[in-house]
This record gives sequence, C-alpha cells and structure tokens, in this order.
Amino acid sequence: MHSTSGGSAATPDPGQHTALEDIVRHVGHLLPAQGPIDVFIHHNTLHAFADLTFDDAVLEAGRIYGCQPYLSEDRYRDELRSGRIDEADVTAVLAATLGLRGEERVVGEHTRLELWRRMVVYGLPERAGEALGWELSETDVLVRLRGDLPADARQAAGLSSTASGRRAEESRYVAALWSACQAAAQRGASAVAPDVPRPRRPRDIVLAARGIDIDDWVHPILIRTTSAFLDQGLADWPMAGRDRGLYRCFIDLYSRRIARLCRPIGKQLLAIARAELESGRDGLASLQRSLEELGQPRADWQAFLRDEALALRGFAGMIHQIELRPDRAPTRAVDARLADLLAVRLVIVRAALAHAAARSGAGDGPLDLRAWLDGCAADSSAPPAPTTDERAWALFHMAQLAGLTPANVEDLHARDIDALQAERRALDGVARRRVLHQAYERRLRHRFYDALLGNRAEAIEAPAFQAIFCIDEREESIRRHLEEVDPLAETFGVAGFFGVAMYYRGATDAHARPLCPVSIRPRHFIAELDDAPAQGLRQRLLRRWQHIGALVDKNVHLGSRRARLGAVFFAALGALWVVPLLLRVVFPWLYRALARSYDGLQFRRARLGIAHQPHDSPPAGEQSGFTTEEMAEIVYSQLVGIGIRDRFAPLVLVLGHGSTSLNNPHEAAHDCGACGGGRGGPNARALAQMANLPEVRSLLASRGLHIPSRTWFVGGERNTASNDITLYDTDESPEHVRALLQRAVESLQTARRREAHERCRRFESAGAWLPPAAALWHVQARSADLAQPRPEFGHATNAFCFVGRRARTRGLFLDRRAFLVSYDPEGDADGALLEKTLAGVVPVVAGISLEYLFGYIDPTGYGSGTKLPHNVTALVGVMDGAQSDLRTGLPWQMLEIHEPVRLAIVVEAKPSLLQELVARDAELQRLVDHRWVLLAALDPTSAELVELDSASATRYVQEHALHVTRGDSRRHYQGRRGHLPLARIEPAAHEGA
Amino acid sequence: MSPLVETAVLVACAAPMLLLLVLGVAALANRLQERGIGALTRAGLLVALAGALTALVTYHVAGQRPQTLRYGAWFAASEAAFSFDLAIDGLSLGFAALSILICNVVAAFSFRYLHHEQGFRRYFFQMTLFVVGITFVALAGSVEVLFVGWEFLGLSSALLVGFFQERRAPVANALRVYAVYRLSDAAMLSAAVLLHHWTGSGNLTPLFSGGLEHLGPVHALVVGLLLIVSVASKSALWPFSGWLPRAMEGPTPSSAVYYGALSIHAGCFLLLRVQPLLLASTVATVLMVIGGVITAFYGALAGRVQTDVKSAISYATLAQVGIIVVEISCGLRILPMLHITGHACFRLLQFLSAPNVLHDLHDLENRLGAAIHAPERGAARGRTSLYLFALERGFADGVLERVVGACRYLVGKLDVFDRLLVADRSRKRDRT
Repeated sequence: MHSTSGGSAATPDPGQHTALEDIVRHVGHLLPAQGPIDVFIHHNTLHAFADLTFDDAVLEAGRIYGCQPYLSEDRYRDELRSGRIDEADVTAVLAATLGLRGEERVVGEHTRLELWRRMVVYGLPERAGEALGWELSETDVLVRLRGDLPADARQAAGLSSTASGRRAEESRYVAALWSACQAAAQRGASAVAPDVPRPRRPRDIVLAARGIDIDDWVHPILIRTTSAFLDQGLADWPMAGRDRGLYRCFIDLYSRRIARLCRPIGKQLLAIARAELESGRDGLASLQRSLEELGQPRADWQAFLRDEALALRGFAGMIHQIELRPDRAPTRAVDARLADLLAVRLVIVRAALAHAAARSGAGDGPLDLRAWLDGCAADSSAPPAPTTDERAWALFHMAQLAGLTPANVEDLHARDIDALQAERRALDGVARRRVLHQAYERRLRHRFYDALLGNRAEAIEAPAFQAIFCIDEREESIRRHLEEVDPLAETFGVAGFFGVAMYYRGATDAHARPLCPVSIRPRHFIAELDDAPAQGLRQRLLRRWQHIGALVDKNVHLGSRRARLGAVFFAALGALWVVPLLLRVVFPWLYRALARSYDGLQFRRARLGIAHQPHDSPPAGEQSGFTTEEMAEIVYSQLVGIGIRDRFAPLVLVLGHGSTSLNNPHEAAHDCGACGGGRGGPNARALAQMANLPEVRSLLASRGLHIPSRTWFVGGERNTASNDITLYDTDESPEHVRALLQRAVESLQTARRREAHERCRRFESAGAWLPPAAALWHVQARSADLAQPRPEFGHATNAFCFVGRRARTRGLFLDRRAFLVSYDPEGDADGALLEKTLAGVVPVVAGISLEYLFGYIDPTGYGSGTKLPHNVTALVGVMDGAQSDLRTGLPWQMLEIHEPVRLAIVVEAKPSLLQELVARDAELQRLVDHRWVLLAALDPTSAELVELDSASATRYVQEHALHVTRGDSRRHYQGRRGHLPLARIEPAAHEGA
Repeated sequence: MSPLVETAVLVACAAPMLLLLVLGVAALANRLQERGIGALTRAGLLVALAGALTALVTYHVAGQRPQTLRYGAWFAASEAAFSFDLAIDGLSLGFAALSILICNVVAAFSFRYLHHEQGFRRYFFQMTLFVVGITFVALAGSVEVLFVGWEFLGLSSALLVGFFQERRAPVANALRVYAVYRLSDAAMLSAAVLLHHWTGSGNLTPLFSGGLEHLGPVHALVVGLLLIVSVASKSALWPFSGWLPRAMEGPTPSSAVYYGALSIHAGCFLLLRVQPLLLASTVATVLMVIGGVITAFYGALAGRVQTDVKSAISYATLAQVGIIVVEISCGLRILPMLHITGHACFRLLQFLSAPNVLHDLHDLENRLGAAIHAPERGAARGRTSLYLFALERGFADGVLERVVGACRYLVGKLDVFDRLLVADRSRKRDRT
C-alpha cells in the first residue's frame, strides 16, 4: 500500500517529536476557546490575535477563518440612510486616518479627503467577470448616471435637471464617459492578477482539479468518532477504553474487519488503520508519518496542520480545551489530545485521497500520494488578471463621484489614471467598511460621553438602604428602577462573585461547581448545609417522595430509549403523556404555576456553612470554608473597592444573578460571567454572612473599616430571565432592620415589575400596552416556555462601561447598555484600588463585548447561527442538524438586537493616573493600545473627558446636550422598541421646583 | 351514518385544505405576516380538531358501523373511475384525531419557536401541507386519496428537512430523503394501478375489512408486498433506515412531528389498515415479522451509541416502530394502536424538549442528589466490531445506496423493455 516502509517513522527523532508538539500547540491557539457548553464563558473570539491591533486582527482572522471583518457595506449604507451613521463622523474618521495626506489633490479639483469621503459615503459597487457583464448589458448603468450622486457631481455633468427632455442627453453623456474610462483603463498600467495563495489542503487541491470533495467522506467518520470519544453521558453504551486516547481508540475500531463496510473509503481506511496498528505508533508519530506521506515540507507543517484543524474547528477546539482543562469536562475527564485528533484526521484523509485517486483512474495499485497530489495541483489554473472593463468600471464610478466629464477623463495622463487606481486599491471594500464601522461606533460612543458630561452629579447623603449588584449591564435597569422607586436607595456595582472564589455545592446539588471567574482556580469549598434531619416527619416524607419522583423520571427517560422497556411503557401508559404535552407546550404558564406550587413545598431552611472546617476534606478545592482572616480580607476588599468605607446604611443587600430558561443549550451563557457562567446567589449570600460575623467586623475595625453594629447584610439572587428575586436568611435578621427590610423588599418588588416592563419593550410578542404587572407574568412565562428561543436577550446591546461613582450615572437612562462598576476616586490617590478593579473587570467586560461584536458581524462564522437546528452533542456542544462541526459562539437569537460596537470604557480618574495604570498592566495595555476597547478618563474634579491609550490622549468636547425626560423611565421608553437615546430621567416633582 | 359524523369528518378534511389554499395564495401575493399566519393557522387547525374530535366521539357514542363516504369521482372513463372516498371507522377517526391534535400542539410550539425566522411563512405552508396529507392518509377510503395523502407527506417532509436551504448539508440530505420517498411513492403507485387493474376500482374498503374475494391470492400478495415496500421506506424500516438520521436537519418541531410522532407512524397505521390483506399471506406476514425484528434490534443497538440527542431519540423511535410492526404482523389490533398513540405523544414531547437535555440532566441529578453515569463497559475486544457497527449506524447509508441503486437499475431495465415494447407495437401498427 505505501511506497515507503514504516521503519523510519517508528523510531522518530525525539527532537523532531517535540518540534511537532510545539507546532500542534501553536495550532491549538487558533482554535475556538469555547469549552463544554454547560459552563459558558464569554471571551474575545479573536483572543489569539490580541497582539495585533483590532483592525489588523479582523483582517488576519477573517483570512484564516474565512469570516467577515466588518458588517457588509450595504448594511452600513443602510445605517447611513437611517441616520444611525453620521456623515460628519465619516469625515472625522477619514481626516484622522489620512492626516496631512488628506489635503493633497489626487485628480481634478477634489482633495484626497473629499474623494475618499465620496467613495465611502456613496460606495463603489464591486463587480467582476460575468456579474459585470450582466450589469453592463442588462441594467441602465450605461444609460443613466448613478441615482445617488451628490448635487455638485451632477452639476459638473451639466445634467442638474432630471427633466425627461434631458434623458437622451444624459444617455449620450454616460456612454461617452464609459468609453473614455475604457480608453483610460487601457492607457493605465496593466493590472496584475491578484495574488491568491496556493491551496494547501489536499481537499482543496483535489476539489479544484477533480471535482471531488473528500471532506464529505472524512468528516462524517471524524465527527462520529470524536463525539463518541468526548461523550459525557448521552450514549448509553460509551466508547470502550477511552483512557488510551482518541488515536488508539480510533485505530482499534477501524482496524476491525467490519470497517471495510464504511462506504465509500472503508477499504482504504481499513488498510491504513491495520498498518498503523501493526506499527504501534502513537498519535504524534502517526501524525508525522502522515505529514511525510502527504509530502508536506517541514516548513509548511504548521500552516498545513492549522488549515486541517480549522476545517473542523469546533471539535478540534473542544478537544484542545479539554486537554488544557480536563477538570472542565462536565462528568468524565477524557484523555483528549489535539495531536491525536489531527493524527486521526490525517489517517482518514490519506484513505480518502487513496480512494479519490482510485476513483479518478489512478489505478488500485500502490500509490504515491505525494506525486498524485502534485499532479492535481498542476491541473488547477490561476485566477486571471482583471480585464479592461473591470478596471474601467472602477474609474467610471470614481469619475461620476468626483464629477469628471468625459473630456476630463480623456485628458488624464497614464500616471493620473494609475494614481486613481491606487486610491481605489488603498480604499478597497474592506477599507471602506472599516471607515464606516468606525463612524458607526464613534457616534454611539460620543452620545455616551455627552450623557456623562451632561449628567448632574448628585450624591445621597444618608441612604435608607444600600444594594450591591453585579456590574452586568442587565443590572443597570433594575438599579435605576430601584432608585426611582425609592429615592433613598443607593446602589453599587461590583463583579458578581463578590470576591468569594469558591467551589459550591447546594443542599440539593449533585456536584460541586466553581463560582468565580475562570481565570481563578478556587481553593475553598463551601456547602449548603441541609438541616432537614432536625425537621419534622412531614419534611422527611416530602424529601423521600421527591426522591422517588426523580427515580421514576430517570427510569422513564432512560427506559424510553430502550426497546423492550419502552414498548411496555408506551403501550401501557404513553397515551397519558398527552397531558404533560399539552401543559408544557401549549400552556407553559400553567405548567410553571403547577410546578411552582410543588416547589413551594420544598424545605429551604438550609444554611451556608462558610466557617472554616480544618478537619474536613472537601470534595473539591483544598479547604472547607474560610478562616476569619480570609473573610475579613474579602469583605474589606469588596467594601473599600466600591467606596462604601464610612457611609453604611443600616441595611445592605447583596444581590447576585443567574438565569433560567428551557430548551436552551446556551442557558449558561445568560448566567453570571464573573461566576464563570454560574449563578451568583451563593456568593452574595456568603459575602453577606461574612460581613455579619462579629469577629470579622472586629478584624475589619482593626484595619480601619468600621461597620456600624446596627448595619446588617442580606444576600440574594435575581433571575435575569424571570425577574424572580430570592433573599436568603432573612429570618436571621435582627429585629431593628425588619421594618427596613420590609421596605426594601417592597421597593424591590415594584422595581422588578417595572424592570420586567422595560425589558418587554424588546419582545415583539409582548404588546406595547402591557401593564407592569402583566410584564412580570410575561417574562416569567418566557423563562418556563419550551418553545421560546429568546428567554432574554442576555448581554445583547452592551456598548458602554463606566468605572466610578454612581453619582455620575445616577438618573441616567442607559438603556441596559452599560456595565457599571463602582469605584470611588477619593481616597485612592495612588490608584492602587483602581488598578485592582481594572485588572479584574476590563478583561471580563471586553470579552463579553467582543464575543457579541464578532458574533453579530459574522453570525455563522463567529457565532453559531440560528439555534433552531441545534442538536446537543456529547453533552459538550451543539451541532447544526443531523451532523456538522460543533458550533461555537453565540446563537443568532441572542444577538439579534445587538449593535456591534467596541466597548467604550470611561473611568472616573485623573487622565495621567489612568495612563500610568494602563502602561503598568500588560493585559490592559494590550486591550487599550490595540483598540479592542476604547478607553477614556473622566476627571473627578474638573469634569473633563479625555480619550486615551497608554501613549496618547485627546480631550473630548461635548457635542450635544443631554435629553431630559421628566417622570420615570417608563415615560422615556414606553411604546418604543428600538435602541433609545440616552437621557436623564428627572423626577416629575422637580418640575415645579 | 349520522349526518353529524359526516359533517364533522368533512370539516376536519376541508379546514386544512382551505387553510393550505389561503396560505398558498397569500404567500404568492406576498401578503401575510407572522401574526396573520399565526391567527389563520390556529383557527384552521382548531376547526379541524373540533371536527375530528366531534366525529370520533359521535361515532363511538352512537355506536355506528364502519362506512365509506363517497364524494364522487375526480374523473371517470368508461369502466374506471378515480373516486374520492373516505373510510369512516374507529381506527381512521382515531388516527385522524390524534394527528390533528398533535399538529395543533406543534403549531402552537412553532409560532413562538420560529418567530423572526426567515422562512416562517414557508414553514407553516409546508406544515399545513403535511396536515392535509396525514388527514388524507388517515381517512382514505380509496387508493387515490391514500396516494395523494402519501405524496403530500413525503413532499412536505423532504421540504422541511431542507428548510435551512442556505446550508449545503440540509439540502443534500433532503434530496436523499426525497429519493427514498419516491421509491415509497412508486411502490404505492404500482399498488394503486394493479389494484385498479385487478378489481376495477380503487376502493380500499375490502382490503380493510378482509373481503378479498375478488382479489386472487397471488394478486393480494403482490399488492401486499408493494404496500410493505412503500411502508418500509416511509417508516425507515430496515433496509431503508439509512435516511432517518439525515432527516434531523429541520427545525426541532418539524423533526418532532415527522420522525417522533406522525410521519414515522403513518406506515404502521397503513399496515394496521390493510392488516387483513397482509395476514392472508404467509409470505407477507413473515416478511413483516423479519423486517420488524431487524428494525427493532437495529434501532435499539444504534440508538445506544449515538452521541447526539436527535439521533439517539430517532433510533429509539425506530426500535419502537419495529416492535409495532411485529405487533401488527401478530394479528393484534388494539395494542398497536395504543402503542402508536402513546409512543407518538411521548416522543413528541421528548423531541420538542431535546435541546433541554442538559437542563433536564442537571435537574434530575440534583433531585437524585447523585451523578448519573453511564456504566463503562464493552471493554472486551470482541465487542469492538459490534460497537463500530452501531457507531457507523449499521452502515445503513451504504445499504440504502445499494437498495436504491438496485431499484434504479431495475427501473432502467424496465425502461429499456418498455421502449422495445412500444417500438415493436408501433412498428406492427405501421405495418397494418
């Protein structure tokens, strides 16, 4: 079968081996970094390109992944028409890009800046080949001037009026212009063929030369084997011996005689698998052997393996993620190695190539794959150079835009023509989209700056109670509503794990799970201690009953997939299933009501065991509970970090968040990012309990943080989908805060109703007339509805981030678009607190913002497309339909209402201090200087806003006054569906004053 | 026959047809938006459901006898007529009511699920096409009505598999499904033609009731075999199972209604209808038993190793379909109908909540307070081949290619024969 014997590769040079390992590791960086889907962590989709600037990275990544760098030009032009993009912004962006070169004259009377502006605003339609031929012969482009020309360009043609009598004249003029452009195109330097890189993958070579797509044979086998290997419990009969690694498993399976039935490449695959089995090679050795067999020069290995891995990047990425973090596999760690996957892939590719060669007449005998592939490569032709018409087409449009007459064009020298063509190349489609995108972002960012500069700062002297929320932009609205309901409420924002990094297991949870940002591996374990045994018989019976119910459910669901058990069950009882069917599908609200009345019977008297248990060995992490010193440190850093220091209200609520939805494999993507895609309630509860402990308070007092003895902390959790709010351990609160707690609960009740109402304006199925009470009911039904692909919109529309005092943003309607991080610049002259805050917060919010941005820009390339055909695979991810690559990124239903803009971060700090901090933190500097986020400083004393990175700073001057709405938020949003202008909401009472 | 039953049946039949017409015209005129389509479909299907349930209840309460409703001929030549007949009995009314109920449920699901999806309109048109088809199949009293219903089922099914037409895989798989369905339709058409040829009419009632006097045993066997082929390819029985996993391309609700609930059982229902005809022949009975048993084993085996939730459920469904076929070939009537009903309702919900599998698993584990692990077994080398067999889905794709390839070869030969025959005849006529 093979032209060389296996002997040489069986004893590989160890140096080469590690070199290949390095190559594989490099390939791994480029793969999607999404791990198993039940823990969804938002991250920058193009993290591997973070060393490039944003604009370079989107191009480079677009080339490698075959994805779009920006939205389409048409899309931006729609936004221009609708006024979302301002022409003034386009000019400003171009002026900044061109600098002094903008003032030079290229041709005719216009400066380069003006020429570019016209090309960007009006566009050059790109046509080539047959499409151009069609356009020229079938449309009126050679009869009429472009309909969208600016008035002066039309005037230059002497055709300012469009009266019908001028029609013939116009037609003559346009025809003359076209022939002048054709002549000019011939006079100019002849264009060279675009430099298209030679295809590297054998699949592309064979497809071009022989019309056979070998991926159609390779992928089904590879997908089945890989997902069987990764499976976390979907299959009843798992793949045997997975601890041997994917490569051994694969070779063992496909060297069985029955593998030859695997149409159509079974015969070849069996032969190669047998040879591999006999040689006893491991994955890496086999990979090397395949690379040699395919005739890849060593220098190309990395690029070659990268392209091969990217052909099925979802699975490759998943294998790589589990290789890096085996602890993140949901139920069962498997020995996943990217090198194994690549080795398997190349073995199948070799078999497929052998079959393709046999099919295209290369004979069945021994085959030199290398020679055959070279033969194929020689057969495919290079793309042709642009034709005269294609070059004339661009000139034709530029002449119209610049107002050049046919006579002007005829007068052009060859070098003028080349100069024009050079301008066109410099401002090609992608460059125009870049300019439009920057203008699109600029407008929104400036409105945010205007809002911050226009808002009147006002601090509350003596808050009735305080509430600490997550920085999540979905909490912006509940905070605003809470403050509107109770003007004496003060709110704060802090990363939603509240500094408590832990493994947590609830009283009814089967597993312990980490609740903290992914970058942290928690050391501590905390369990919810169930004191049910101390309770009555009724509770014990209930719990027994629940257990039996779960066992029945388990057996029904597993049994339904077995033939005999299923048959008995379906024939006997299946017809009863019409009841849950109707309830769950047609009347989900009723089902929710029934399920909740059942839930209501649950015993929720469990307590959180946060105290250190030195003798326990925890199921996860190193230590059970926190020591008093550790607790004091956590409470100190949280409270001082948000600037609460010396103004404690008698009641402080700490509210984490999570989200519930059904039929949503991406459910975890709606949970709290700061909790690593978990729910932050337990963290909030833990912080509250810590802050209430007298021994912690006395330690804090010794560090200068005095919590008044009357102040009480209560933890809780808000469900961002159903808007349910749970407060924990309220029965433990002391007598004197009861009344206040009651007031806070009532305010929260009203606030959550209003917040649900505001959220409903984005849901088309909720009428605009919906009263707030019905809105709450609407969002609750949504989160319990199997048929609802949009339980909530998650982080969609996020655009801003503000780090500073709430007083700067209080009263602003930020439309659920701003991450709000509490930080008090007073008492932080050296920026030590700010440094910690930024290091923790900025990478997280940048990750969220960029994942949404790229997902929206290319929903099927960077996102996972519509979720309707999603098919949960191996319990680690989703495929499209029957079989496809694992789809990574966000589904379209989560992105639908997003606006793809980079995050505008404003920090309330001295510009010089902020610049210094950026320069000090490598990660932060990379994000800011490479423009992945756009940073600005709002001076705490002088109310001056400066856009900056580590090297440069530009002062921003307020462009527009802030819109003011009197009354409450509802006055501003009621009846409107789309993105709203930012505004200041002033209580109606102020009107008279 | 009480006029109430007759009217109700007519309403159940006509409402979806009318809805289909309205949706089709509206689509051509580019008129209706989501809300309009929703309201119309809801109304049309609810009316149909009311009709079907009324008919079913009245029929049983009044204790009526099976009967055929004749609505005249579509067209008639001298000795033959294509008639529009509906068979009214407990079985047909029961299956019709079940089908329309399930379609109502799935439509209610789909309004919310497909919101803002491109192709919303297309989806509901094709769903309605399916409703018309399944109602025809359920109530068919003549082979013509059955054939039209059968065609509608196949067509709408293939179109919905290819619903996401902007990707390549769904379209390719839809074509494959459609090719197998054509085979099924061809067998059905042959059965219809032969039935006409031998009995002079397409009336199915004698087949339903076992009155086979005017159909000789050989003729009965041939018609029976053709029907079995038709059913086997539509219900993905072995050796036609290869297309089933490929049909999982459509949106979840369409996968649910076709391959979990109705389309897959339509074949079983048909077998149940013509049970007397099939049981009259040992060959047909044995074939059915063998097909059913192999399918059940195959489905159970392949289903156990599938690692994506849709395939796992669809193979589990297939195993049950195999068992139902065996039940039918054992001469049972009530049990298979119960089995079909229960299975359809359960699987529908299971399919519709397939994307919820992770949520359900976590929920279940938390209620049990322990992890659910599939046991690691099958480490013995001897079972590796079997595992590979199951993982590769019994190499059913290849089998299907061979079966369809063989049929194509046969048709090709028939075509050659046909041409020779025609040429010969016309030569003779020219000579005379």
